[in-house]
Amino acid sequence: MSAVIETRGLSKHYGAVRALDGLDLTIPRGGVYGVLGPNGAGKSTLFRILLGLIRPTDGSATVMGGPVGQVSTMRRMGSMIETPRFPPFLTAKQVLNWLAAAHGLNGDPARIEGWLARVGLTEAANRKVRGFSVGMMQRLGVAAALMTEPELVILDEPTSGMDPPGIQEMRQLIRSLAVDDGLTVVLASHQLLEVQRVCDRVAILNKGRLVLEGAVSELTGSGERLRLKLRPQAAALDLLGQKGSAEGDDAVMAAVTRAEAPAVLKALIDRGVEIEEARWVGADLESIFFTETGSVQAPEAIHAG
Amino acid sequence: MLADAYRSETYRLLRNRTVLFWSVVFVPLIGVVFGIIGNAVLKANADKLAGEEMPPELMVAMAGGPMNLAAELVSAAGNVANPVALLFLLIGAATLYTGDYRWETWRLISARNGRVPLILGKVLSYVTLALVAMLVLVAGALIEKSISAGFFSRPLTFDAGNGRIADAFAMFGVSGLRILQVTMLGLLAGVVGRSLLAALFVPVVVSVLQALSPFALMGMGVANDAWVTFLVNPGQGYDVIAAAIRGGPDAPMAELVVRGWTSLLGWTILPLIGALAWFQRQDLSKE
Ligand SMILES: Nc1ncnc2c1ncn2[C@@H]1O[C@H](COP(=O)(O)OP(=O)(O)OP(=O)(O)O)[C@@H](O)[C@H]1O
Ligand SMILES: [Mg+2]
Repeated sequence: MSAVIETRGLSKHYGAVRALDGLDLTIPRGGVYGVLGPNGAGKSTLFRILLGLIRPTDGSATVMGGPVGQVSTMRRMGSMIETPRFPPFLTAKQVLNWLAAAHGLNGDPARIEGWLARVGLTEAANRKVRGFSVGMMQRLGVAAALMTEPELVILDEPTSGMDPPGIQEMRQLIRSLAVDDGLTVVLASHQLLEVQRVCDRVAILNKGRLVLEGAVSELTGSGERLRLKLRPQAAALDLLGQKGSAEGDDAVMAAVTRAEAPAVLKALIDRGVEIEEARWVGADLESIFFTETGSVQAPEAIHAG
Repeated sequence: MLADAYRSETYRLLRNRTVLFWSVVFVPLIGVVFGIIGNAVLKANADKLAGEEMPPELMVAMAGGPMNLAAELVSAAGNVANPVALLFLLIGAATLYTGDYRWETWRLISARNGRVPLILGKVLSYVTLALVAMLVLVAGALIEKSISAGFFSRPLTFDAGNGRIADAFAMFGVSGLRILQVTMLGLLAGVVGRSLLAALFVPVVVSVLQALSPFALMGMGVANDAWVTFLVNPGQGYDVIAAAIRGGPDAPMAELVVRGWTSLLGWTILPLIGALAWFQRQDLSKE
């Protein structure tokens, strides 16, 4: 598992604001990597540093083995940072032609049209971007990032401003980039459900620091609980003690591991509890997100003082 | 990579109609229109003006003397750096140099190219624009002269003797350098201030102050042809070089021409170096 991005003690301060505060992050090659965090957590700041747009105050970052800002490395990346904007007097097609020239790519019309089609902008191809909606800008930004045929794509909130079908298309596009084209995709997003569906691994940032990192399956798996629909509820709760909690009036949640489960089920049945249904329920990214970004508030307060 | 920067910048510039209009079309157009109107008015009042005292060129013109287009070419080439043309060419420069801050597009292009080539690409692209604008200005001036010559039935001649063509080229080149010099202040101000308005107003204000500087310096007892006066005011440098090209009895001494070149080149190169150095260190966090 070779790293495609590695940061060590990466910090960026704006006066008293610590946009990034000693971030150590390793992003493996391949797959889709999600960077999550509340507003102001430092996601865009991290991306801008990785693209050489801003300099870190402290620490270091490498991208595909090289230092950030090296043009030869940067030419192997595609990116979209925040809501992209374009010269308003250009049409969508002209924007891609202009960027093809800027990136030293061949601006073959068929390829440009291909990218416009892939992000669903065929009909708007010859319209000036002046009149584009946020979602359309976003689509064009994604096309601009991908047309460079990069090995690594960085997408900052690629679905913000998009309609539900657009979000779904984007999810499929991102998955196919990783699965079919073998790219590494790093994305920031606030759509936790989307992230859970599309990302292989995630990092959660808060106030410029890493608070949690791991494979989505492990993170959501480790919070697994057993949901039991049964009767009588009171007897079950009594037996489970600390590990049980009521769900409605005919179910309980049991915080037990898969290894413990058979014994727990047997004990319940021995007590005469009738089990109608038993099902594993994973923790979702949303609840993890709230726990993690809420739980760091205490140490942060000490740190600030 | 400079080639990529230049190609993309030019591609975008060619589609920016506002800039093309104000930089390339507008000044030559009003030059032609006002020139023709002026001559028409002169023609209409020719009788009244007879016997009045007038500049000798005007006397020749109104008397229907021949018009030497070669001489007009030299004068038109020397006139492309006039203040009005400079102002409108500055609009183009300011838009070009600060476009990526205004449209927030640095993030799209700067991740994949060096910062120095990006700026130099802009400058080269602007040089191309300015060359086209200057050619249009000269062509416009010649068209206007030819039409105006018709009012007084002046025969058109083309006497390129006395190295007039070479003079026209030299004049064209120096005027181009003067235009570039003024816009380099715009580049520096635009990059540092990340703003179109800075790129527009700083050169205007600085150039006006420079134009007034000889008077201030004279008040302090500094001679008009002193090094300081030249170094403060590249406009004077340009004037002296232009006078040297025109030659004749008013031609300045070689020593002053050297001062002129030093000032004009210095005020072109130093702001460029300053802008490059600044841009290399600049955080492109919020363009
Ligand atoms: N140019 C700047 N000057 C001052 N502060 C800045 C600047 N850029 C970012 N910041 C601050 O740095 C912090 C991190 O901002 P950043 O944009 O990285 O957050 P983010 O995680 O991308 O947030 P969002 O989810 O809202 O996009 C914020 O507190 C922000 O105000
Ligand atoms: Mg952000």
